[in-house]
Amino acid sequence: MTIRANVLECRDLKKSFGDNEAVKGVGFRIAEGETYGLLGPNGAGKTTTISMVTGLLERDDGEVTVDGQPLTTASVDAKRAIGLVPQDLAIYPDLTAKENLTFFGRLYDMPSGDLKARVAEVLEIIGLTDRADDRTEEFSGGMKRRLNIGLGLLHKPRLLLLDEPTVGVDPQSRNAILESVELLSGEGMAVLYTTHYMEEAERLCDRVGIIDLGEIKAEGTRRELVQMVGQHDRIRLQATGPCEAGVEALAALAVVKEAGVRDGGIEMLVDDADQSLAQILGKVSGAGVTVTSVDVDEPNLESVFLHLTGRALRD
Amino acid sequence: MKAFTIAGTNLRRWLRDRSNVFWAFIFPILLILVLGSAFGGSSDPRLGIHNEGDGPLAADLVVLLEEQPGMQVIQFESREDLVATVERGELEAGLLIPVDYDATLRQGAMTSVELVARSAEEAQAISSNVQSALTQQSVVLRAAFFVESEEVGSFAEGLETAETASMNVADVTVVVSSAGEPVGFFQLGRFDASAQQQMLLFVFLTSLTASAALIQTRRLGVARRMMSTPTPVRTILVGEGMGRFAVALLQGLFIMVGTLVFFNVNWGDPVGAAAILIVFSLVGSGAAMLMGSLFENDQQAAGLGVLLGMGLAALGGCMVPLIIFEFFAPTLFQVAHITPHAWGLEAFDVLVIENGTLVDTLPFLAILLGFAGVFYLLAIWRLRRVLTR
Repeated sequence: MTIRANVLECRDLKKSFGDNEAVKGVGFRIAEGETYGLLGPNGAGKTTTISMVTGLLERDDGEVTVDGQPLTTASVDAKRAIGLVPQDLAIYPDLTAKENLTFFGRLYDMPSGDLKARVAEVLEIIGLTDRADDRTEEFSGGMKRRLNIGLGLLHKPRLLLLDEPTVGVDPQSRNAILESVELLSGEGMAVLYTTHYMEEAERLCDRVGIIDLGEIKAEGTRRELVQMVGQHDRIRLQATGPCEAGVEALAALAVVKEAGVRDGGIEMLVDDADQSLAQILGKVSGAGVTVTSVDVDEPNLESVFLHLTGRALRD
Repeated sequence: MKAFTIAGTNLRRWLRDRSNVFWAFIFPILLILVLGSAFGGSSDPRLGIHNEGDGPLAADLVVLLEEQPGMQVIQFESREDLVATVERGELEAGLLIPVDYDATLRQGAMTSVELVARSAEEAQAISSNVQSALTQQSVVLRAAFFVESEEVGSFAEGLETAETASMNVADVTVVVSSAGEPVGFFQLGRFDASAQQQMLLFVFLTSLTASAALIQTRRLGVARRMMSTPTPVRTILVGEGMGRFAVALLQGLFIMVGTLVFFNVNWGDPVGAAAILIVFSLVGSGAAMLMGSLFENDQQAAGLGVLLGMGLAALGGCMVPLIIFEFFAPTLFQVAHITPHAWGLEAFDVLVIENGTLVDTLPFLAILLGFAGVFYLLAIWRLRRVLTR
């Protein structure tokens, strides 16, 4: 097993705006090559957390370490390791894509020669090479989003923070963005990805922190989260033959928590459908049941969120 | 270095908007031209001449008029053109020399020239110059008649001798001096006052309206993105301030050089004038930074910027000269000095009217630096708060 170094560690982050406690002791860590998702509804404290992690917002309490260096709003060196993709399109509309990239590249102290080559490379990555010299105000929403991400990648950061990067994006651009994130993570970049889209968190994130009302309610891999809240996978078998006998046979398996005959087939709750499906099919076949189709429903993060907070993710 | 990158980007964005180029560079020059032409101080009055006569005496009169000090002479081919030009106010007066001018004078008879003006007041300054030229010519003519009547020679010989003799007679000049304090405004050239006033007005006004760009930078999230880079907050603020300063300085410099080249405006000691421009640009950019830190809506800021820019300029003497306030509304004159414009105009008065130098303007520059300092400190305090809390 490879032990990967932590690129980001944050502990006990707190921030209040007047009487409103926006973030109440949030902490997590992200290793290199890992994508960590902060999943929560609007107003959960995701953007406030990411603003403290990037040193944009003064925190009331807590610590942030990036690549081993403590980070505050006044930090300079620690910020070299960070690439931010903010929720809002933080680009100059009256500059071209190339001018926007060059401007921010200079703020990252990139030498002129390297910068020119890197700008061309990033334009290629985000698919805007042929629009490099057009003003961004002429771009579609998806193109602006892609440039917004390109600006975060420009200096090859160790830690990339994406704050809801797909909000308001068409499905095609959204897919392109998600593919880019998967690629970057595969190249060893640590990624912090905030979203209120459950599907994105499930697709991209190695680990997910469920955040609500300024607190991380639970954290782990999808499987760990599902198990943590006692959720089970649901398997439906369309079958012919003695289904009752099949149910009785399944009672002998520890992974099967509950089983019954429904709508001419067998339905059951199990701990881990992927691991136990072969065993289950063997048992029901042994009982004389002929299985014609199998449906597996794994509990998703939406149901985990509902279980943890008592409300749906988009409420 | 990063501050220069931020400032350069600001300047590039501002120049990229063509409406900015019109309002900041072309419009002020046009306004100075219009205001200077309509209300400008002293400059050489213009006399149009249409000479219908074809003799040497009529030609001599034109030459004498052209030699008159403090007056420009423009010749016209037709009477109608001359009269129409006077009617349009493009000339202070027009002089019509009749076709029989030479013949009548040669006969020793009385003739007359016609002076056309829109009003007696406008003709007054020119009429004395015309009278002077006619008197000079009549002295020579009398001498020529004397030569002819005494049978010393012909009229032509007498005329030539008298003209030669008159050249050897030294002129008596009248030296005019002012009693009491000089009344500055009236000593300025036609475009001088309006150029100074409009330069200060537009530098401040453009700065205030350019504050909208700073609000956009904040509103678009670019300022926050800049803060996520390894760039200290103070560098970002200095860069933004330098961007506004560059806009103000560029505009002021354009107005100064443009009016100097096109209208021969007297800006006084160049070093002193440059110092006033630099310090006033700091004031304008400081005010822009403060506006940019206080407002969340760029359109709101631009609208208020126009109101504030025009209001402070009016109060500070950029629309009605401060000297008018001083004579007719002393309280208003005192109140005017709550604006940086009044101090800027007084600094220019020191350079232009009193022929002062940079050293003489230092007290005014110190006060203007005070304005700039207060604006910048408040803006930096406010921007730090809004960007990091």
